[in-house]
Amino acid sequence: MISITIENLVKKFGDNVALNGVSFRIEPGEIFFLLGPSGCGKTTLLRNIAGFYIPEAGRILFGDEDVTTLPPHKRNTGMMFQSYALWPHLTVAENVAFGLVERRVPRAEIQQRVTAALESVRMAAYASRKIAQLSGGQQQRVALARALVIRPRALLLDEPLSNLDAKLRLEMRTEIRRVCKEFGLTAIYVTHDQKEALSISDRMAILEGGHIAQIGDPQTVYRRPRSRVVADFIGETNFIEGTILDATTVETPLGVFRGVVADPDWTPRAGETATLSIRPEAWRIQESRPPENAAAGRIGESIYLGEVAQYQFLPAASAAPALKIFELNPDLARRPLDRELHATAAPDDVVILRQ
Amino acid sequence: MKSRERLPLGSIAVYAFTAVFFALFFLLPIWETLGGAFRAPDGSITFVYIIEVFRNPIYLEGLWNSVLMAVFSTALTLAIALPLAFLTDRYLFPGKGLFSALILIPMILPPFVGAIGVKQILGQEGALNALLASLGLLDPATPIDWLGQSRLTGVVVMNALHLYPILYLNLVAALANVDPAMEEAAENLGCTGLRKFRKITLPLIMPGLFAGGTIVFIWAFTELGVPLMFDFQRVTSVQIFSGIKDIGGNPFPFALVAVMLVSTVLLYAASKLAFGRASHAMMAKATSQGGPRALSPLAGWLVTGFFALLTFVAVLPHIGVVLVAFSRDWYGTILPSGWTLDHFSAALGHDLTLPSIQNSLKYASLATLVDLVLGVAIAYVVTRTKLPGRQILDAMAMLPLAVPGLVLAFGYLAMTQPGKWFGFMNPAVDPLLILVIAYSVRRLPYVVRSAAAGFQQTSVTLEEAAHNLGCPPLRTLRKITIPLIAANLTAGALLAFSFAMLEVSDSLILAQKQQDFPITKAIYELYQLLGDGRFIASALGVWAMVFLAVTILGASLILGKKLGAIFRV
Repeated sequence: MISITIENLVKKFGDNVALNGVSFRIEPGEIFFLLGPSGCGKTTLLRNIAGFYIPEAGRILFGDEDVTTLPPHKRNTGMMFQSYALWPHLTVAENVAFGLVERRVPRAEIQQRVTAALESVRMAAYASRKIAQLSGGQQQRVALARALVIRPRALLLDEPLSNLDAKLRLEMRTEIRRVCKEFGLTAIYVTHDQKEALSISDRMAILEGGHIAQIGDPQTVYRRPRSRVVADFIGETNFIEGTILDATTVETPLGVFRGVVADPDWTPRAGETATLSIRPEAWRIQESRPPENAAAGRIGESIYLGEVAQYQFLPAASAAPALKIFELNPDLARRPLDRELHATAAPDDVVILRQ
Repeated sequence: MKSRERLPLGSIAVYAFTAVFFALFFLLPIWETLGGAFRAPDGSITFVYIIEVFRNPIYLEGLWNSVLMAVFSTALTLAIALPLAFLTDRYLFPGKGLFSALILIPMILPPFVGAIGVKQILGQEGALNALLASLGLLDPATPIDWLGQSRLTGVVVMNALHLYPILYLNLVAALANVDPAMEEAAENLGCTGLRKFRKITLPLIMPGLFAGGTIVFIWAFTELGVPLMFDFQRVTSVQIFSGIKDIGGNPFPFALVAVMLVSTVLLYAASKLAFGRASHAMMAKATSQGGPRALSPLAGWLVTGFFALLTFVAVLPHIGVVLVAFSRDWYGTILPSGWTLDHFSAALGHDLTLPSIQNSLKYASLATLVDLVLGVAIAYVVTRTKLPGRQILDAMAMLPLAVPGLVLAFGYLAMTQPGKWFGFMNPAVDPLLILVIAYSVRRLPYVVRSAAAGFQQTSVTLEEAAHNLGCPPLRTLRKITIPLIAANLTAGALLAFSFAMLEVSDSLILAQKQQDFPITKAIYELYQLLGDGRFIASALGVWAMVFLAVTILGASLILGKKLGAIFRV
């Protein structure tokens, strides 16, 4: 179990700056996610950590050891590739044994560790199969076993579930978390699937244009996004433009809203423009007018999804944008389209973002 | 900022080694030839030898005949290949798979052996005249001289029957790349049939047509074996071959080679310039599901018949050779008048034969080994590294396709004369080293191509996964990459090997002592024998063809459909 420290990492491809001074520290045994839209630099960062790229500047430390320029085969990391990269000319057992053979582990021990690794991913029955005879989910398990069996210093996962169907993806992500915690592994996991990140990460970093936009645990990142980019990327939200009145209130076309500022580097001043981010599920719809943080309007369209209904809420104020509102356990009969209603959000659910 | 990139020392070493190898065994022989052509005895630069080539009526006639040989061969090749390629691309017909597989056979049968068969069939007392006479179409007293006085006809027929597969494969590839929507757009605007072919399809496949056409032209222009077997003396390649006997004192063979080299390089460069870069960028490939169309049964069988007839004609020379090898006598009749196995035992018993087979096996295996090592190394650097100038390496490895074998063979002879740097390789003493090098340089493109294709089809992440698990780069190449591209390497090596076994120009020029002769030179020497010569030569040729057929069959079984890709340029 080691910590991984990234210091001021810079990676360029020609004139294109893929990573522009990235710094953070991953604690021992942590499952750390790198998240962001495509082209944000998350895969580049992972490949720097694996040793496939050498950064132009900055350092990468495994514990106290500087591995910045160490070639990949000397880093002792276990990587799961997006395509799995299982070797088609070898059997399942030979694929898993490969790293142990490279480490000159005695044959009897290889045998025993390969069996154990395949058992831990429930693939022991397939040891002598060729890779082409496995389904996508089975290949994914073999790739995980191959990465784990060498007892790596860190597990690196590059979108390992993106080629699986939705049901299998759900099953495998809990599986991966179980195995990581069982082996006490420091894991770095790249994905663009926010559900994956929210459900199994200890902490996550949102990357944007080669910078880190925010680092935090899932709930902090979801409930207290520091910037519009983060709020937009993780989950769905309503953005409402407005003007700062004082440190916690903003005047918008919908009315005056009280909220919280999540960015510690920003002290809003009166008169400054700002954006509110209010999640669709943070709104409550009611018939009586609440004392504050509310907008009057009516429901435009509604989509019924069983456990939840998605409403398009049309505010009465003409300059205001339509709101997206989710209601759990909905009863559409109580939501006639022509009646005036009020949508309200608690101040704790309203995030004030710098413009 | 200090440079932190790991220097890819292994790749740089490979790069340097191949560069030196090419400089010594590709550029130096060419340089030596040019030196012989342009250097006066006192060391100054002179053009008198070149000018003399264009003044001397015998050399001039040779050049003219070479041009005619190339033009007619290319035209006949195109006439055969274009309809075949078009039919294959557009229509389904019975036996299509079989004929697409058989298309390569004429390409790999040694043409200069086939020449014996052509003479047997088209000669004045040959099978065709006998057939016509028996049908009452010809008076046996006045036979038609199909081959003509100049012997050009036979050479052109043999060249075309040998080379049309090259053009065919290039054309099929080019046609497959034409977006069916482009033709549909023409039809939509009222342009159909031949007019559409001329105005739309033909311009679109021009790059492929010229790529294949250039290779065929250069090949025919410098062909040595076929005119030699037809005893067609007034052609530049044969004149060069005759001239090497006094290579020490005579500058004219050098001048002839220089003229030949310059004209082929100019031609190659011109075609690359005109059609090298995909001149018609297809906007998107195959937007509509065109695919080959089914034909009515009658039309389908007509097409099949056409293919069968052409394939039969293409292998006819070699059928002729087989018949000659088994015949007691064959003169003025349709089929041999008697059968015997004597020639095979005579061929095996002749003191030229067994040593020549041994020699060929030795030269060809060593050359294949060199090709494999160099080919994998070059393909690796080109496809797997970002070394600056790797495209130059790639282009360099492909150049032997453009430079005629005759020119290189002559250059090797010139650079190994006593007193030169490579005098120690003088083939008059022992041709082993220089023949192995000559064979391997000529066949290197095939191995590089097939290895590079293998590397490109093999995802880099498969190698990265091995690095990640602690396997250093060189060991990854051995344990992961090479096994994954083994099929490509085997096929490339088999081709290199079989072409080396039946190589003509290097073998005829560089092997000078009977004990060093490879198979091809043994066949040539046997053919020169009076009396039973052509029968025994044919028998040895049949042995060679059987051997080749087995190797190529093996290659196509391993590679399947991908075999054709190796001949595309």
